[in-house]
Amino acid sequence: MPTDAATDHADSEQQLEKVRTLLLGKENSRITKSIQKDARSLVADVITEALHDRQKKDNSVNKVLQPFVEESVKQSVAHNSEQLVSSLYPLVGSLVRKSVAAFLSDFMEKTNQLLENSLTIKGLKWRFKARQSGVSYAQYAASQTFVYRVEHVFLIHRETGLLLNTVALEHESKSNADIVSAMLTAINDFVGDSFLSDQEGQKEQLQSVSTDNFNLLIKPGPSALVVAAVSGNPPQSISNQLQLTLENIHSLYFDELNRFNGDNKDFNSADNLLRDCLLSEQKEIVAKQKKTPWLAWLIVFLVVIYVGYQSFNWFKSAQLHEKIMQLDSQPGIIIKQLKIKQLDDITLDVLRDPDALNIHDWLKDNALNPAQLTITERNYHSLDQQILQQRAQRIVSAYPNISASWKNHSLMLTGTIDLIKTEQLRNTLAIAGFTEGENLNTEQLNLASNTPSSTHKEIKQQLFEQLVGRIASIQLNFSVASENITPQMQSSLQRLYLYIQQLTPIAKELNIDFGLLILGSSDNTGNKSTNNILSMKRANNTAEILQRKGIAKDRMYVVGLGQIDIKNISSTARSVMFNVIYNSHN
Amino acid sequence: MNKQQAVEKGGDALIQKKICLLGASSVGKTSLVKQFVEGIFSEKYLTTIGVKIDRKTLSIANEQINLLLWDMEGNDSYNVFQEKYLRGAAGYIIVVDQTRTSSLLEGIDIHTLARQVTDCPAILAINKSDLLATWHLDDSEYEAYQDLFDLQFLTSAKTGNNVEQMFSSLAELLLKREKNDLTT
Repeated sequence: MPTDAATDHADSEQQLEKVRTLLLGKENSRITKSIQKDARSLVADVITEALHDRQKKDNSVNKVLQPFVEESVKQSVAHNSEQLVSSLYPLVGSLVRKSVAAFLSDFMEKTNQLLENSLTIKGLKWRFKARQSGVSYAQYAASQTFVYRVEHVFLIHRETGLLLNTVALEHESKSNADIVSAMLTAINDFVGDSFLSDQEGQKEQLQSVSTDNFNLLIKPGPSALVVAAVSGNPPQSISNQLQLTLENIHSLYFDELNRFNGDNKDFNSADNLLRDCLLSEQKEIVAKQKKTPWLAWLIVFLVVIYVGYQSFNWFKSAQLHEKIMQLDSQPGIIIKQLKIKQLDDITLDVLRDPDALNIHDWLKDNALNPAQLTITERNYHSLDQQILQQRAQRIVSAYPNISASWKNHSLMLTGTIDLIKTEQLRNTLAIAGFTEGENLNTEQLNLASNTPSSTHKEIKQQLFEQLVGRIASIQLNFSVASENITPQMQSSLQRLYLYIQQLTPIAKELNIDFGLLILGSSDNTGNKSTNNILSMKRANNTAEILQRKGIAKDRMYVVGLGQIDIKNISSTARSVMFNVIYNSHN
Repeated sequence: MNKQQAVEKGGDALIQKKICLLGASSVGKTSLVKQFVEGIFSEKYLTTIGVKIDRKTLSIANEQINLLLWDMEGNDSYNVFQEKYLRGAAGYIIVVDQTRTSSLLEGIDIHTLARQVTDCPAILAINKSDLLATWHLDDSEYEAYQDLFDLQFLTSAKTGNNVEQMFSSLAELLLKREKNDLTT
């Protein structure tokens, strides 16, 4: 009977269930209990392999582990930094080198790209087109450089349209991501309501939104949407990646998605999953990477050369300036102006004593090419010691009997010379800057006894008068109430004696008799008669010395003038004056 | 460049809530949002088409709450109430115009329709409080409506009166509800 059979069947089912319950416990509790007891060792046996297999299958282990690893590293850094530092220390050096090298090459690459893009026709065209279409140059360049590039990825909660998480390439504004996701949800709702539902009663879903060079790819899931904003032409691979990510997120965040209440903290860790969607493909990548940035290197090279050349020039001209300025320290040469425009364009303005060294010779001696210089030279009379010596040497060399020597910056002449030549020499030296008594000493000069008789009489007459004048110009100045002859007076008297000696033969030849007047004077302070005596004493003392030198007493006439009553003179007239009195017989 | 570095981290950890603004045409929904978000009132009349979305972040009891304001198209006899936009809303505001009695009736109709799809908190905003009212709620009406809505506000989008308070109170209410949900 079918009913019996049915009852039997149910019966046996029931019995079997009873047995099962006895054996396995209520709801398999015995089995689960025994498995639970060994769970630890069971899992331990296979966990490595299981992780390996799962990772191999869909790469999900990595993504689950990553937040844990990040968190524990963060904790290590915060609490155990000492240990981390010491274990990282050996790496730091090479890391720094590597990053510096990477920075440099990146910099060169960027510079080159910039140069290439802005200097080439292509770059100008892009710039123009970017302006025309109202986007930034960088954006346009990216759209031209990349076949496609995912710029933004959004994770949106399906029910509320609230943004769960977003990642963006580069530092683009993320501030409006929440509004964008809400708008997108609204549009999606609008589309779903506005068009017919398909056969299964499912509402239409927006899959993509496209503009001229921008695409929104939308992957809807039961609890969330993943949306990618892509520039360029997105290939199928992006869509696949989005699908994969969406599935991963649903499986990993199933609970969080279902009890989402506006707090998106739980979804922060979805970053890594979303980043997988930031794909891009560059145009002509291979060609670009192999290119050495020649243009950039060339510009760097040129800049280096220019800077090097300029500083070398500057250094050279500074050196040259210093070198030429040494000329200024040469005796008898003064540099008025030195201008170095270029290394072979130099203007030199100098004052030069004719007795100073030759500038051209000096330049040659100092390894300078006079042809490089424009020299303006003007002459002047230098009183530099060295130049004076040189000049004296030149003048004296014309008189072979005379030798010159230097003593205490004074030119000492020795030798024998006739009277006329003496006068000539004396005149020339006076012009050259030598003054008797100051820096010229002719005391050692002896007169040649034989004055050439052929000398014209008029010249002799002139000479006689010159000597008379010179004698009259000598004056001894005494201090107050003193009649003593000082050493300075002695040298003046020696000079006077020499003049008299020279005068004597000439007077003889010209048939002239002469005598020497010695006039003593005093100032107007004190007793007049005392002053008379004082002036007389001064004259007498002087005469005595001259007499000792060899001038006959009968050729001298000594007078004490007493006070000299001349305004402005009388108070200081403490002196002895000389004059030659003579008469000619013809 | 390193890809990790190039990626900007988005989505700060703060609580987000979707709020809808409903009501008859030209009762001042858009103006209320504008006043709340930008603190200004636009004299220009703007009929919203479909939905317009704005955002404002508030700080309540040390918690950042990000309000996403869905400003819905005004509903009248030509425009049907679009319940699809209400989905997932954490709360909604029915806006009525105190210078037009009809807007109150329409507002109550919309509220009834909205209640069929959601049971989230609802607020009644009686707007244009800067203008002379043409109707007043008598005590019995007031009580009747008080049961219908979680909160009531007399607002002015023009002067800003009560606008900030209304949105803040709504945000507080939402946070409080959330905590109660967690405890029960």
